[in-house]
Amino acid sequence: MKDYAEKIQAHARELLAAGKVDCVIGYETGSDGVNARPAFVYRAEDVGRLTFDDTCTHDLVTYLRNRKGKATAVVVKPCDARAVNLLLLEHQLQREQVVVIGLVCPGIKERAWGQKGEALLGKCQVCAMHNPPIYDFLVGQPIAEEPSPDQRYAPVAALAEKSPEERLAFWQAQQERCIRCYACRQTCPGCYCTECFADRLDPQWLGIRVDAPANGMWHTIRAFHLAGRCIGCDECQRVCIMGIPLSLLNRKLEQKVDDAFKFRPGQDAQTPPPLATFNPGENLGVDGGHGC
Amino acid sequence: MLNRFMSRPALQKWLQTLMADHQVVAPVRVEGLVLFRPVKGPEEVALDYRNTTMSPKEWFFPLSEAIFSYRREDNKVILEPKEAPQEVVLFGIRPCDARGLAVLDKPFLQAPADGLYAQRRERATLVGLACREAGPTCFCDSMGGGPGDASHVDVLLTEVKEGYIVKAVTTKGAKLLTSAQVQEGETEEPVLAGLRPVKSRGIVEAMRRQFDSDYWGKVADRCIHCNLCAFVCPTCYCFDIRDFPVGERIERVRSWDSCQSPAFTRIAGGYERRPSKGERMRQRFAHKLLYFPGQWEGVLHCVGCGRCVTACPVNIDIREVIEDVNALPERAATASAAEKGGDGRA
Amino acid sequence: MTDNGYQPKIVGFLCNWCSYAGADMAGTSRMVYPSHIRIIRVPCSGRVDPLFMAKAFEQGADGVLMAGCHPGDCHYNEGNYYAQRRYALMRELLAFMGIEPERFRLDWVSASEGKKFSQVVTEFTQAVAKLGPRQGVRR
Repeated sequence: MKDYAEKIQAHARELLAAGKVDCVIGYETGSDGVNARPAFVYRAEDVGRLTFDDTCTHDLVTYLRNRKGKATAVVVKPCDARAVNLLLLEHQLQREQVVVIGLVCPGIKERAWGQKGEALLGKCQVCAMHNPPIYDFLVGQPIAEEPSPDQRYAPVAALAEKSPEERLAFWQAQQERCIRCYACRQTCPGCYCTECFADRLDPQWLGIRVDAPANGMWHTIRAFHLAGRCIGCDECQRVCIMGIPLSLLNRKLEQKVDDAFKFRPGQDAQTPPPLATFNPGENLGVDGGHGC
Repeated sequence: MLNRFMSRPALQKWLQTLMADHQVVAPVRVEGLVLFRPVKGPEEVALDYRNTTMSPKEWFFPLSEAIFSYRREDNKVILEPKEAPQEVVLFGIRPCDARGLAVLDKPFLQAPADGLYAQRRERATLVGLACREAGPTCFCDSMGGGPGDASHVDVLLTEVKEGYIVKAVTTKGAKLLTSAQVQEGETEEPVLAGLRPVKSRGIVEAMRRQFDSDYWGKVADRCIHCNLCAFVCPTCYCFDIRDFPVGERIERVRSWDSCQSPAFTRIAGGYERRPSKGERMRQRFAHKLLYFPGQWEGVLHCVGCGRCVTACPVNIDIREVIEDVNALPERAATASAAEKGGDGRA
Repeated sequence: MTDNGYQPKIVGFLCNWCSYAGADMAGTSRMVYPSHIRIIRVPCSGRVDPLFMAKAFEQGADGVLMAGCHPGDCHYNEGNYYAQRRYALMRELLAFMGIEPERFRLDWVSASEGKKFSQVVTEFTQAVAKLGPRQGVRR
């Protein structure tokens, strides 16, 4: 990963100097002097700020929604690149307006203020996609892809094995802590509704009340709206200061979507999304059938 | 050094006594976090913490609460006010957070006072805990406070090897201490937290000068407009109010809001007063460092607890903003449109 | 409903073209079924946003029933197929979050199936009543 910064800078300089893009979204070193933060570079002479190392957690694709109609280059890890595919598939991006600088990614570390992290992030420990599925420029030597280790769904299975009462108690404890700051929504590249159902006043689906039942509804619908769409960047969970394991819900749905519809979000920008298509003959266990 | 002091066992005993006739709210470890929660036994209290994830403001101005409810009966509307709050001891509050409450007092206790807030403040006794160690983003002394600042608590405890040095700051505090075993004794000289200074001098003037600067758009570029900074802040006090039916009655609910939320300034007809990211970002810092001091004799609307700095998912650091704004040239050069940034609606 | 007098609250989202007419059929044929269900008529089972289910539970419902046209019979050709996919995922999610799977059900009831409608409602109400009131509901 040592020469990544240099290569990113070279691509950024060329793109900005040639006027092919207005802005390059990448990473720079943050105010603690160690961990990276998102950076927006508008001039070729400023590309020296751009960096890349194993503290680059953010999914920068989330910023593309602010840049509709403007040519933008974005630095993406393979999981973030899946978000580019998701947005292309959902007609939220125009391919010719985004330049994808894709990175081969060996994994990102846990972060702590002012400190280099030691352990790989949970998502990186079970990652099966080290090469970006979409890019215009590739940085790094492609790594041979290994099948995802079985542990990917281990935390989901551990909770699913418990009784409904235990699961309810587990989620209620999480819902009681939630402060509904909506950082999970705001950081998500897939959450781009102009007006979120949670902010709607007429009808007032959710409203401003914060308590366990309302938070439960928020967690349910947030996860559901990402069913067949969540690309697994786990940013929702990372930004949660209350330590709520939101990606457990996303992972549960990801597993079900893969099992039932053989669909993995973000692998390409063509396959129709599972909730926008159907097979006339399918029976998904209706007629009083039960899941979980 | 001769001090009034309380041994560790005496502190445990005092806590026990307090719990008998007060609600005691103290820092508690919850799933890897430290939060102010009501405690039942002294063993639950965690005093070995830097600062809590959420500020104690939530005990005076809760995240979300029904401020009253009403129902209809025989064609009349019956108002049901909220029950009066209990006497509470807020135990182990940091000097910065106590200062945060003093800042909140200004808008909330100004006539007409916010009834619920006023009652809660009146019925609360603050037992402060001086800081021996600074958190990585603490900067209270640059904002007018300090790690041993006793100005806004009723009792101040400072941990030393032998136990805790005790200072009764107010008569309310002295009264609370009557049930404690406090003795005169030799203790070590406490060393308080050392903090990295932030160049905050002249920030109010600098904020006024840089009101129209391009800087705000640039900082806002990476903002994702969540509400985290406002929600962890001990001094942010914006809220929203709405009615919710619950069975036969209707509850009027007040919940925290944030100027960074995209819908914050949206009004009837869909008009948005602050449509751009940069305007929203400027609002946050201008309220803290320009409008509030303008309204309240120069008091800054930030106590330097550092919570927003660590909580921000994209590293918008108020210390960096203060220093940047102070260092910006007198009249910001006009930048090209492309350079301005912060042009997106989000 | 149960020995201790517990009356479950059940919300039923019925498709206008089949299941709602099926409920009418049950009524005009004087078929008896538990009256705990609060019926909400929707234009198609495909109109049932999973948000409706979540909102019903948030507001204190003990059970949520969805009913639409049999596969192949949708008035809009395909609404019930989409409904089925959404329901299958929502069911999985709610069950994972600890809401007992017996508390929700999707079934196909045509306009002529008054008997089936009364059966489905009876079975479902009994199953929900057996579970008792839901925990963690605002009261």
